[in-house]
Amino acid sequence: MSQRSVLITGCGIVSAIGQDCGQVLDSLLQVRTGVGPLKYLKTEHTEFPVGEVKLSDEEMERMMNIAPGTPTTRTALMGMIALHEALGEAKLSREDLKECGFVNGTTVGGMDKSEQFYLDFIENDSRNAYISTHDCGSCSEMIADRFGRFKMITTISTACSSAANAIEMAADMIRLGEADIVVAGGSECITKFHLNGFNSLMILDHNQCRPFDAERAGLNLGEGAAFVVLEEAGHAAARNARALARLSGYGNACDAFHQTASSPDGEGAYLAMSKALKEAGLKPSDIDYVNAHGTGTPNNDESESQAMMRVFGKDLPPVSSTKSMTGHTTSASGAIETVICILALRNGFIPVNYAFEHPMENGIVPNMDLQKGCKLRHVLCNSFGFGGNDSSLVLSAVE
Amino acid sequence: MESRGLDFVVLNQGFVSVNGRVLEHEAEGNALLSELYRGHIGDWPKFFKMDTLSKAGFVATELLLKEIGEPRCGSEEFIRSRAIVLFGSTASLCADRNYQETIQDKDNYYPSPALFVYTLPNIVTGEIAIRNHWRGESSFYVLETPDVEQMAFHLACAFQDNDTESILAGWVDSTMNDDFQAFMTVIRKEDVADVDRLAAQLQLIINDLNN
Amino acid sequence: MEELILKLKQEIIEVLNLEDVKPEDIDNDAPLFGEGLGLDSIDALELIVLMEKNYGIKLQDPAKGKEIFKSINVMADFIQKNRTR
Repeated sequence: MSQRSVLITGCGIVSAIGQDCGQVLDSLLQVRTGVGPLKYLKTEHTEFPVGEVKLSDEEMERMMNIAPGTPTTRTALMGMIALHEALGEAKLSREDLKECGFVNGTTVGGMDKSEQFYLDFIENDSRNAYISTHDCGSCSEMIADRFGRFKMITTISTACSSAANAIEMAADMIRLGEADIVVAGGSECITKFHLNGFNSLMILDHNQCRPFDAERAGLNLGEGAAFVVLEEAGHAAARNARALARLSGYGNACDAFHQTASSPDGEGAYLAMSKALKEAGLKPSDIDYVNAHGTGTPNNDESESQAMMRVFGKDLPPVSSTKSMTGHTTSASGAIETVICILALRNGFIPVNYAFEHPMENGIVPNMDLQKGCKLRHVLCNSFGFGGNDSSLVLSAVE
Repeated sequence: MESRGLDFVVLNQGFVSVNGRVLEHEAEGNALLSELYRGHIGDWPKFFKMDTLSKAGFVATELLLKEIGEPRCGSEEFIRSRAIVLFGSTASLCADRNYQETIQDKDNYYPSPALFVYTLPNIVTGEIAIRNHWRGESSFYVLETPDVEQMAFHLACAFQDNDTESILAGWVDSTMNDDFQAFMTVIRKEDVADVDRLAAQLQLIINDLNN
Repeated sequence: MEELILKLKQEIIEVLNLEDVKPEDIDNDAPLFGEGLGLDSIDALELIVLMEKNYGIKLQDPAKGKEIFKSINVMADFIQKNRTR
């Protein structure tokens, strides 16, 4: 059976290091971290640095022409900004969307408003308009409906690998012939709900996070959204769409070890990367860069190191975790890092693993110097989630 | 191809059946899950640490595998080819509430790590995978309603890779500790050859769940 | 001390949902993690919450838990010495 080839013809991003692809590229090339003191989220936990999108909800509402007072959520607003850019780049009109699918990865959904109005929900009816904005499904619809009526909207919720799995799902839909264009990605804002939760798991660093460093002490929460337009190659050619990259392989596997902890030998991650390479028909030595999951927690970085060493052996390409600059954007991270990989492919550079100083014992040493003028052919993007849900994508340059 | 019905388990707070055979029980609500665990499973004490969504998914899966007579774990090849694809409408709403209670009150502020973990709806897929050592693909979709056509479509998509040979598929939903619905079935590659037929089969299972 | 040990066992059983375990089943010197009660990393975090909530002891470093949760005796001893409530 000949496999339908999947191209990426548009991408959009909003994160702590920039509010569109151009700004994010600039930050990556200047090695500028977006992690800093908390500013937008109202919480007492100001001791934790975070990677916030440097916009208030009101500013985002204005950017998206949303009337003040309309019930919306920060997750939905960020999603709209990223989707707007992606659709614009792919030159898709409102009319075109009727034939397109939309797959969104999110877990927190409208929790930002639910926690703000939680007591109102219980005690009075003043904020009831926001109850329907709570769940993940309505969040996807809010993002999508801003731009038109998609043929199909799906929400996937697999923790921090949600957006990567949304992209895989979208590619499956195209390969199955169910659609020629599917827009996929994820969006997630920081909430007190999961800031407290990650704090209770004692995996938040009180300082700038240091993925793969021997002295790493946890992650910094981040937020943001990113979407990519996936399109069948023939369809893209027929409408003269510009291809940014090709999604040449992907794999998802379950670590089946523990609810939150990764296995010491990184079995799930190893299987996900191996599957993705096999599907792409590539050898480990064909990969020129790995954008690691690299959260900065002692457990993840050790497990992922083991898995990468198992997959690549002596052919380990440069590796970096861009969470060192964006913070861990949880459900959105798979899409945010996919867009970063596309920027790296197209602009020929290898992003830096910011704040790394001390190599860990028996671990990988990430890329510390910005390498420019590289010709990248294939890059691998890892996204792992609690529940042992491990995903890996292979993105390739297009001629 | 010979037509074959799907093996299935349906479960809610007051009802449980295996391939259409109703299982007798005394308890209702969350206590029903404990009764089923004690009566039919019994060797996985971590069950009691799970949230309602995971308990329901776990019990339904255990009853199903027992019915099918599938040996636990299986070969290395088998565990890599078994995927888990679950659906639900309210995701982790029940766990969200339980956890929110631990951070709501300033004077009694002790966020619970164990409750927080279950605010991720896909932890149920992890629990099932850990029990059975399954290492295939796993996912959790949020659907507004148990839309069988959408489910059949997602299941067909899940076979697009070269590794997946069978899928533990089902619906799990829980809005409150004593309120849950689940069905569980195993789908093989040949079942998705005709997606409409698969949707019809899933609809029959859902009818049973709504009895 | 006897009293504290019994109370602690009851609290652990409740907070960790050790459904079919009774206080007398827990050996005072047996390890709580791995073998023994078979507790894991999330259980350890819950025990850290328990110590703060019930005894006013705040642990900043999760790695320290490993020492303290060696056994019921070690844990009770630590609580006795450090409790603020």
